[in-house]
Amino acid sequence: MADLILEQLTIAYGDVTAVDNISLSVPSGEFLTLLGPSGCGKSTTLFSVAGLNQATSGVIRIGDTVLFDGGKGVSVEPEHRNIGLVFQSYALWPHMSVGENLAFPLKLRKVNKSERDTRIKEALGLVEMSDYINRYPFELSGGQQQRVALARALVYRPGLLLLDEPLSNLDAKLRERARVWLRELQERLQVTTVYVTHDQAEALAVSDRIAVMSEGRIRQLGTPKEIYETPTDAFVADFIGSSNFLKGKLIERNGPWATVQLSNGSVLRAGAGKSELSGDVVIAVRPERVEVVGEPGENIVQVSLNSGAYLGSVYQYEVSGPGGHYRIQTSKEMSSKQAYVRIPPEAATLFAADSVPQAA
Amino acid sequence: MTQVSSGALQEAALPVRPKASRSPFIFWTVAILTAVMVIGPLAPIVMQAFLDQPLYVDEAALTTTNFVRLFTEAGMGTIALNTLYFSVLTMLIAQVFGAVMAVVIGRSNLPGRSWMGELLIWPLFVSNLVTAFGWFTMYGPSGYITLGMQAWTGTAPWNLYSLTGMGLVAGLSQAPLTYLMCIGAVTKADAQLEAAARSAGASPMRALLSVTVPMMRPALIYSAVLNFVIGVEMLAIPLVFGGPVGLHTVTTFLYDQGINAAVQSDYGIVGAAALMLLLVVGFLVWLQGRLMRNSDRFVTVRGKASRPSTVDLGKWRWPAFALVFAYLFFTVIVVFAGILMRASVTFLTPLVPFWELLTTHNFELIFSQTSYVRSIWNSVVISLIGGVIGTAVVVMIAFVARRSDFRYSRLLEYIALFPRSLPGIIAGLGFFYAVVWIPGLDILRGTIWILVAAFVLRYIPIGFGTVAPALSQIGAELDRAARISGAGWWTTMRHIVLPLLRPALFSTFALLFIHFFKEYVTAVFLYQSGSEIIGTTMLALYAQGDNGPVSALAAIQVIITALFVFTARRLLGVKIYG
Repeated sequence: MADLILEQLTIAYGDVTAVDNISLSVPSGEFLTLLGPSGCGKSTTLFSVAGLNQATSGVIRIGDTVLFDGGKGVSVEPEHRNIGLVFQSYALWPHMSVGENLAFPLKLRKVNKSERDTRIKEALGLVEMSDYINRYPFELSGGQQQRVALARALVYRPGLLLLDEPLSNLDAKLRERARVWLRELQERLQVTTVYVTHDQAEALAVSDRIAVMSEGRIRQLGTPKEIYETPTDAFVADFIGSSNFLKGKLIERNGPWATVQLSNGSVLRAGAGKSELSGDVVIAVRPERVEVVGEPGENIVQVSLNSGAYLGSVYQYEVSGPGGHYRIQTSKEMSSKQAYVRIPPEAATLFAADSVPQAA
Repeated sequence: MTQVSSGALQEAALPVRPKASRSPFIFWTVAILTAVMVIGPLAPIVMQAFLDQPLYVDEAALTTTNFVRLFTEAGMGTIALNTLYFSVLTMLIAQVFGAVMAVVIGRSNLPGRSWMGELLIWPLFVSNLVTAFGWFTMYGPSGYITLGMQAWTGTAPWNLYSLTGMGLVAGLSQAPLTYLMCIGAVTKADAQLEAAARSAGASPMRALLSVTVPMMRPALIYSAVLNFVIGVEMLAIPLVFGGPVGLHTVTTFLYDQGINAAVQSDYGIVGAAALMLLLVVGFLVWLQGRLMRNSDRFVTVRGKASRPSTVDLGKWRWPAFALVFAYLFFTVIVVFAGILMRASVTFLTPLVPFWELLTTHNFELIFSQTSYVRSIWNSVVISLIGGVIGTAVVVMIAFVARRSDFRYSRLLEYIALFPRSLPGIIAGLGFFYAVVWIPGLDILRGTIWILVAAFVLRYIPIGFGTVAPALSQIGAELDRAARISGAGWWTTMRHIVLPLLRPALFSTFALLFIHFFKEYVTAVFLYQSGSEIIGTTMLALYAQGDNGPVSALAAIQVIITALFVFTARRLLGVKIYG
């Protein structure tokens, strides 16, 4: 199997640019996730790889095989790309039994009957659905349909497996189990996989690497750990997990650390972020990293409690203090209206003030 | 996770061997054939309208005098006014009766509403010619009921041989169409909407009138324009009721000029009048589209819809039943009974009990004449073969227009739906001109195949209207899954979409069969000895004043239609009109 390579891929519909100049390389056997809010262009990118969406310009290739080249006007028909695709709705053909659903791609490849039966059995074995070969899709549960859809996408040994939010129609418990199972299967088959989801927990759990997308661009590409712990911009910091953004002014920079002055004059130390930052900045800190403390001190601000909720494993509080409103998660119940919270410098990163997502 | 070897799946991939795609060839073939079918009959009409001699004459020259003559000589002003009055009246009567019936039958606890609803749509299954003749037999100047009324009260207060009489007959014949369109709107309305009105303090009746009835607006607008257009292009009723007293509408004018003009018909005038009619109908269909544009406001079925409850009529239940039944009795039962009765007696009169005049003579006459028998046979053959061909044509057009990446798919759909604006008489005239004009097409002249072609063309929009909604029920992801699995466009259509479309194919075939079987207007310029159909033979017999055989033919048409509808519903599980 070979690498999937996207070069300067752009997909526009009239004036709307859905995918804006994306370049990406997925090494053979990797599990890459395209993650982003709805409308960010992740599914559009996926379908253009499948050939079901027509890209506007750029190049899509698998190893040396060019699937799409806007410059040369090359576009391979989807049926000749030899890609496996699992749809969000599973798209099992309702008039065919499970066995017939799997046989169809093999018949198109002129595989003879006995060979076909062997492969169908094998593929259904992989997804643990062997007993259901004669059932029709409407007789299966959502989870079973999802497995059959996966088997159908794998039965003809595609060079690349594409998954479009395949777990989003399952209920929460089943979804968690299915993603573990999916990852195990992918590791075993070593099939290059591109996975699309808007669920960050799912992305963190299954991926080798994640490409966080927004407004048709890749904002950050990295391992789940890199994405979560060292987001490169405020959008990623907010979209993966969630972040508080404390407004302030950068007053000093000292190696990896920076000093920021908040509106009430209090001063916080935080990770320096990008070197070109100056003036108005925000300090990003995740709610679970904010510590409730007993008394004032270094990197500690006073906040007043607005509202709170008990979430089972933690308490979540909305507070306001210097720098704005923020949210904290703590295992301790807060009893008074006023409290001190510590923003650990190692958990705080600076971003430009104008890069904060509007919805936040 | 069971331990199954995954080794095999890691072997070399299995690509589909690329071959030259045949889909562009299919796209272009379908598009070009459709365009030729639609433009074929239009071009000669436009040509003829601007030629001073018949268009097959080589030295015919371009002129605009046809239009000048049309408005000055031929009394076109009166004809246009007649047509307008007749069509407006047809529309108003059809809308009022159809809409009221839809609300009462669809949403009240009227006794017997299900069988009465079924009975109400029966006129839709037969041609206007049959209904016109039924009305003529019962309510005409010497009709059974007219004479009975005169014998009983000394006078009959109606005169169908007038524009108002014609409008009344046509309106009551078209009311079922309005009913059919409105019944969907009132019965499919989301029950939660009325429930919301109820909890806001409205009575059941008030909720129905204030919430659901306004929801019928798109259906009312749509059917209003449709009925107006049907009024403009209707031939049978103006011919039967206007002809004897010299009242002409556009269609009877065209019919007389085109067919009955004894020696040589005036081609120029006919072409000009046809073009004017085409423009008027085209404008109306365009207007209909404009009026329907914002109808999303009234889309009520979203997600899981629950069936709305019925409104209790209370003590008005039986009086309402009496009214609805009387309506059905006088406009449907009596009309059909008239045809059957007239067909089985020598002379229909209320003065002698009809069983004393019983005879099989009318049917014997029909079955003794080869040309009459042939017309029945031709009708059946045309409807069967045409129904199959029409279904295939419509499915191919729908596949390319709705399910392909063909660049001109929107244009194709637009062209395919154009025959909505093509009145039957114009379609027939156009095909007639086309075969005399275009070299080589002469072999089609006088065969049933020209009729099949004309009927199929005329009813592409009807068929498309059945196939397209069914097609949009089939998720596009099923196609996409097939494409990515290695199937080309045509393979996907054949193996995935077509099998899923099967119920809709049966419905389309049944609907086309019924339309072809009752069609006659399109055929009046196209049939010759050997290719007559029931409708044209009825017109010929009617012109000779042979009312007995006409009724016998009409009765045969009704019986065959009934058998077909019954069989289609039972065997094919087809839903026809609800």
